[in-house]
Amino acid sequence: MTATIISNLPVFVVIAPLFVAFVLSTFARRIRLVESLVIAVLALGVLGAGYLASLVLMQNGIPITYSMGGWPAPWGIELVAGSLSAFFLLLVSGVSLPVALFTVANMTHEVGGSVRTTRFYVLYLLLAGALAGMAVTNDLFNVFVLVEVATLSCCGLVSACKHPRAAEAAFNYLILATLGSALILGGIGFLYIITGHLNMGFASMELCRIWQDYPHVVWIAGGFLLVGFGVKSALFPLHVWLPDAHSTAPSPASAILSGLAVKGYMICFIKVLYNVFGATLIQEFALDRILSLLGMVAIIAGSLFAVAQDELKRRLAFSTVAQVGYVFLGLGQVNVCSLTGTLFHIASHAVIKSGLFLAAGAIIAATGKTRISEMAGIGGRMPITMAAFTIGSLGMVGIPLFSGFIGKWHLLSGSLTAGSTLAPLVIVIGSVLAAAYLFPIIRTAYFEQAQATDGQDPGAPQRIALILLAAGVVILGVAPGPFLELASRAAVELLAIK
Amino acid sequence: MKTLLDKLIINYPYFAAVILFLIGAFTVLTRSNLFKKLIGINIMESAIFLMFIAAGNIRGGAVPILCQSNPEALYINPVPSALMLTGIVVSVSVTAFALALIIRLYQSYGTTDARRIAEMKREVT
Repeated sequence: MTATIISNLPVFVVIAPLFVAFVLSTFARRIRLVESLVIAVLALGVLGAGYLASLVLMQNGIPITYSMGGWPAPWGIELVAGSLSAFFLLLVSGVSLPVALFTVANMTHEVGGSVRTTRFYVLYLLLAGALAGMAVTNDLFNVFVLVEVATLSCCGLVSACKHPRAAEAAFNYLILATLGSALILGGIGFLYIITGHLNMGFASMELCRIWQDYPHVVWIAGGFLLVGFGVKSALFPLHVWLPDAHSTAPSPASAILSGLAVKGYMICFIKVLYNVFGATLIQEFALDRILSLLGMVAIIAGSLFAVAQDELKRRLAFSTVAQVGYVFLGLGQVNVCSLTGTLFHIASHAVIKSGLFLAAGAIIAATGKTRISEMAGIGGRMPITMAAFTIGSLGMVGIPLFSGFIGKWHLLSGSLTAGSTLAPLVIVIGSVLAAAYLFPIIRTAYFEQAQATDGQDPGAPQRIALILLAAGVVILGVAPGPFLELASRAAVELLAIK
Repeated sequence: MKTLLDKLIINYPYFAAVILFLIGAFTVLTRSNLFKKLIGINIMESAIFLMFIAAGNIRGGAVPILCQSNPEALYINPVPSALMLTGIVVSVSVTAFALALIIRLYQSYGTTDARRIAEMKREVT
């Protein structure tokens, strides 16, 4: 019995949200029922991911493999739950549950009507399922399909409000994201043409043997994948869709988009980069230098843009652009310490940014104000919301004892080990700029004289969601234990493939 | 020179795919009409589909159905065609969703020109 559960766990965590999404779209009518189903399946996801992570930790690096339809690896599609997968699954389920909790009894007025709210939840579960699939997939074409499922549900979530601005942002996002997925599909096509495999392990072995015969094709495949995933995960010059999309979406959707969706594409990129190309080829084709350069530019540019914004959600959206830069910078330093830092930064940013967006959403819903300059004295009127926002900001800047610090510390020492002089400097400047765009909000909220007296903390489920995410920031910072262990094991495994 | 030309002629599907891809990308990035952008996306995706299917084709290959009388026959690779079936489904759903968004944009702005929409948005704010 237990053996059956364990061997089916990798596929279960993907199928469960997709199945419930289907049930919701066809059968469910009453909004209470819909909400409780969503919460139930996401809580089940947390249990499954936690169990899987504990198994992976106990088994010392032997992944749990599931062959779809019973066909073994080179012919069939394989799902592999290793350290990286367990890490990202834990993150996806751990963040999507509080964000869903925030939407309880809160979405109907924002998206308009209970039918539209049900559709919102359908898209939300499709996104959660696709992200879980990205964590466990070991097949190149599956990566493309899951990326497309995630993209379409993201665009749907952006356009969930009836506002015409949302439709415009969603359209621009859709066009650029489809351009990106065409490039990703092209890159996968080139890899398939020269290796003859779609399974990542087999493609990697074959690529290792023959890359010297087709250097140009490898270059083109790498370039296509870099630009494709760069568009998807909003790498700096390709980020143009992100600020509009993430600031016009309903706040819980912004939280999940900025916190998790962008990370899903990064995990796919990490898998393709390190599991298929492998560390040797990354260095041989100078991808490491290109990635760290792009990352540094993104950190500085994204932070500067963020400082210039007055609209709260736009500032947070540009901050995501900057934090994406850290991930690409870390991917460019090919060593265990940096990769651990990169993975941990992905996790801490996911928790922090979803918390910040939810707090921003609560403020905007309670006061109707979207600009930071209008939020004077809000800290006194919405204590729990602003406390969560403050904890998130401290984590984002990277103060010790908050989650952001550990990721940045590993990134910093990793880039120092790699012998780079510019990268550590940029990491520190990025932190200072993060303080420059987040602390003024806190100052305005707590220390400026209030003119208005409206606004109060949101309802109980929303408060629980905010407290959970803020607690996550502190727990990841004080006792990162098993999470850091999973991240460092994943980093070692990623670098083991030559 | 002759060998390069020969290579191009032998690999004409890939050559066509590159040209289609460039046409599509150019259309998406330079046109401001939303419909033309969408058509550009479709052309780009078709280029990728063409590349995949050309990669699966083997000249003179038989239909990939296992046949007892002649097990050694040369078959074309069915995997890329099957993959592109999925790709086409994805592309159709993207197109449908984008058309729905265009309808909503037309209802609220009265135009399908991205530049006009951006101007109107700026006037509002």
